[in-house]
Order: sequence, then C-alpha cells, then structure tokens
Amino acid sequence: MSDHPSDLRTPLGRVRFLGSARMGTTDAWVVHLTSVALVPLTVGFVWLVLDLLRKDYNGVRAELGRPVPAILLLAFILAGIVHMELGARSIIVDYIGGQARAWALAANTLFAALLALACVYATLRIAFT
Amino acid sequence: MASSDAQPGARRPRPLSPHLSIYRLTITMAMSIAHRISGAALYVGVLMLAWFLIAASTDATTFGVFSGFIQSFIGRLVLFGFTWALFHHLIGGIRHIVWDSGYGLDAPLRDQAAWATLIGGFTLTIIVWGVGYAVR
Repeated sequence: MSDHPSDLRTPLGRVRFLGSARMGTTDAWVVHLTSVALVPLTVGFVWLVLDLLRKDYNGVRAELGRPVPAILLLAFILAGIVHMELGARSIIVDYIGGQARAWALAANTLFAALLALACVYATLRIAFT
Repeated sequence: MASSDAQPGARRPRPLSPHLSIYRLTITMAMSIAHRISGAALYVGVLMLAWFLIAASTDATTFGVFSGFIQSFIGRLVLFGFTWALFHHLIGGIRHIVWDSGYGLDAPLRDQAAWATLIGGFTLTIIVWGVGYAVR
C-alpha cells in the first residue's frame, strides 16, 4: 500500500486529516437556511427602504425606532451577513489556494463580523436613543 | 498536525475540469456566473447599508453627508446596481432552492427558469425604482 517502505507512520496516520470531518454539509445547510429566511426579509427590506426614501433625518430615526422595522432590519442584517460570509467563503475556496486562502478566509470572517457588529450597534442605537 | 501530513508540495496537482474552455455558453451557465457576481456585488454593497445606519445613528450632519452621496449621480448609480444585484440574486436563489429540491431540472423548464431570473431581476429593479421615484 505504501510508496515508502521505510515510512514509520501507520496507515491510519497517513490518511488522517485527508478525508471527511463529517461537517461538510453544515455550511451548505446554513446557506440554504439563511437564503430561505432572506426571501421574505429582502421583500420587507425593500419595502422599508422605499418608505424611508420619503423621510428626512428625524423621520428615518422615528421609523427605525419602531419595533417592526427595527426587528426586520436586524433580522435582514444578521441573516444577510451570515449568508454573504458563507458565500464569499465558497468563492475564496474556489479561486484562492495555499497560504493566501487562509488569510482570505480570515479576512472574510473578520470583515463580516465587524460589519455585523457595526450594523447591529447602529440599529440598536437608533432604536433606543 | 494536518499540515505536515498533507505535504502539499509533494503531491501532484489535482486535475482541473476544462469547463469554461470547452463548453458552449448556455443560459444556465451564464446565470450561474451572474449569481456569483451579483452575490459578490452585494458583499460590497452592504457597506452602503452600514454607512446609512451609522450615519443615521450619529447626527443630522453625518446623515446629510450620506444623504448627499446617495442622491448624487454616482450614488444613484451604485444604488441602482445594488438593487439589481439584490433582485437578481433573490430570484436566482429561489431558482436554486427549487432545483435543490429536485424540481424544474428538465430541459425546457431549467432554461426558462434561468431566463426568468435574468428578465425578472431587471423587471423588479425597474418597477421598484419607478415606485421609488413615484413616492418620494
């Protein structure tokens, strides 16, 4: 079986980490789950934006201070950013290899986390101040 | 460790499918690429949503800067592109969920669904912008 008769590693040692970790479907499942959630949320988000177009600064703040628009926006942000982080991850894995892949994956996740925090913070601040 | 076991330099390069260079371009292929491009565009576009929310949470002057940008020609162009990417990706996503459930994969329907994504994305964008200009 082995190409190297002098190799001291066991057959198990040679194949470990090269196969399935039984987590392969988690990302795909979450992409699908968030995509289903994002269908109604996107419709609601577009509706909200059309409503906000008519308003000035105070009007925008008053609208986003109401529970339903604020919760809709928070749900859209969270589902959307998880969805886009996973989508970008599959793009990175498809096109980038080697050391650069790890950096790109880390940058993607950190960017998405920062973006989510900033959006959620700002939305809550509008809603509660 | 996984990295020392895998020895990436010692392995032969994995074979690559010559998918783009040998197949005739079909509408389903084109919409697959467009789905990915619109997704990547939305990734960048969400920065605009973050800017809007941060500006609205700060004060009227900061909000005015955002408001000035989004009402400028460039701002409208970016927002129009974002609207298209959002609707194209939305309809494409619904198409993918239907396909993943095992429906609509037969010859006439899959091409019709791909065309519907393309046409529907532009149609919804134009309708929403029409409504946007009508209500403001």
